Amino acid sequence: MLVLTIFIAYSVSFILIKLMPMDAVEYIVSQYITSPAAQYQDPEVINSLKEGLYDIFGLRGSLFDQYKSFLVRLLRFDFGPSITAFPTSVSELLRNAIPWTVGLLSVTTVFSWIIGNILGVFVGYTKMQSGMARILFAIALVLRPMPYYILALVLIFLLVYLVPIFPLPGTGGVITYEFSLEVVKSIVYRFSLPALSLVTINIFGWWFLSSYSLTLNIINEDYYHYGELRGLKKSTLMRRYVLKNILLPQVTTLGLSLGGIFGGSLITESIFALPGLGTLLYRSIMTGDIMTSLGVLSLSIIAVSLATFILDIIYPFIDPRVRIR
Amino acid sequence: MTVGGWLKAILRPLALNTKLGVGFLILAILVAIGLTSLTAPPWFEQWYKYPKDLPPQLSSDPSYLLGTTTNGRSVFWSLTRGILNSLAISFITALIASHIGLLVGIVAGLKGGTIDRILMTVTDVFIVIPAFPLYALLAMMLKKVLNIVILGMLIAITSWCWPARQVRAIVLSLREREFMLTATLSGLKTWEIIFKEIMIHLLGWHMVNFTNTVIYSIGSEVGLAIFGLSILDKDTLGTMIYWAQGYGALYRGMWWWILTPIIAVIILFLSLFLISIGLTEYLSRKR
Repeated sequence: MLVLTIFIAYSVSFILIKLMPMDAVEYIVSQYITSPAAQYQDPEVINSLKEGLYDIFGLRGSLFDQYKSFLVRLLRFDFGPSITAFPTSVSELLRNAIPWTVGLLSVTTVFSWIIGNILGVFVGYTKMQSGMARILFAIALVLRPMPYYILALVLIFLLVYLVPIFPLPGTGGVITYEFSLEVVKSIVYRFSLPALSLVTINIFGWWFLSSYSLTLNIINEDYYHYGELRGLKKSTLMRRYVLKNILLPQVTTLGLSLGGIFGGSLITESIFALPGLGTLLYRSIMTGDIMTSLGVLSLSIIAVSLATFILDIIYPFIDPRVRIR
Repeated sequence: MTVGGWLKAILRPLALNTKLGVGFLILAILVAIGLTSLTAPPWFEQWYKYPKDLPPQLSSDPSYLLGTTTNGRSVFWSLTRGILNSLAISFITALIASHIGLLVGIVAGLKGGTIDRILMTVTDVFIVIPAFPLYALLAMMLKKVLNIVILGMLIAITSWCWPARQVRAIVLSLREREFMLTATLSGLKTWEIIFKEIMIHLLGWHMVNFTNTVIYSIGSEVGLAIFGLSILDKDTLGTMIYWAQGYGALYRGMWWWILTPIIAVIILFLSLFLISIGLTEYLSRKR
């Protein structure tokens, strides 16, 4: 199933790229020649680039040959040299960018999952109709349809411009792979606002509302009333009746959203000028570096399919009703 | 049904559900604001026709109401035209995507078996494909020919799959109901069943899907625009943000430039979302 999904997804990408009225190679080269980086390059280099591109896009031979070489390239994760940073290969650029993106997204996803669920269960369990609950719902109503990057822009306005707590995007210290106190400090300083924006939108866009309605469903069930009438302690009810039943669907969705750790915050990263896949994608778009964009796309496809696959495997361990056949 | 009857049928849900009513009201106001762009001076799309960097001011000329930009444009006219263009893009997406979804969902739900399995596998794959990197890649290649219609079609590529799944689920539950059996036994053809029996039940959910796709499309356009992949020579809410970002509007204290499109997007989302959940509430109560 995993292989099938990835295979079809790649095939769809191939068909779509083929359907485009533009010749990708000519487009890339024309973009590249006008960019400032090209002025220091030999025409020969550009020519070899062009040859390489024809190779990579598999534009030689019949349509079937093209398709085959396209697939092989993608599966071996060989996208050739990047155009933006010429001799460096695309896969190396990706390798350098991945830790930042994965770090930011896995931390924020898990954080927002925990906070959102606690908040949702709490509000649902206490059947709060208080002002606090109303405010939370009002926030959720505004944030639910909002893409994460809009909130990021709003937070930049509020917390960088109006109340300057966080640094301007692109400033606030250098971030490298070296480990020193300076670097750690600037990482925390620069990553906290983007992390805050992602956590907020995840909590109110999804986890809070879903765990709230799940809780409401459970405490209206007959078995819950029975447990109450049996005189079970509140904490037991909470642990064995509510949390256990909420965990199942919520873990599923957590797994699915962890599949988005490669592609889930691309725009945030580029807005905040953080190192990572988003900024890499942004730069590759600006220079017409299609190969790098293709690399980011492939990574995201693999990550999401992998998450679905792993989820299928671990599901029987969480849910006793599902048995492996 | 007479015109009055139709009007009543449309207006009744609006009156019954507050969220739906409020959502429609806000949307109507936004569209009205957008429509004022038709009275804009013909040169409003050109650069350097207005004095640069003016903050908002009250004047008899609406051009200066929301200030001007560094490239000499009126924020007010950009906004009004931007609302219209963003809505146009998202309507094209929603028209295509929600109807593909409707078709796929009905066919998969009614036919069942192998056809259902094939269609759902394809749908699931499209759900898995990460939309934004894909759009970015395709928009890059289409940059020179990008216009409102093409951008709308582009965003429709993956946005039909959620409607398809939802429609299929509803059709599956409808299929088990008794009236379907009655219809089949009384010799109705498949397309007659679809149009006479199923459509009525699906219409409301189709509208919900349509609204959700509009929300999704507006959001995607803004996302693409931040990466410089929207129609940069036209005003949309996304390209307004792009230019404001590109000129560093915020860092130079020109809050009116960057904040105007952001607030407009948020209000637009809110109104559409209210319509969507209002419709859902109305439909589930009616059932």
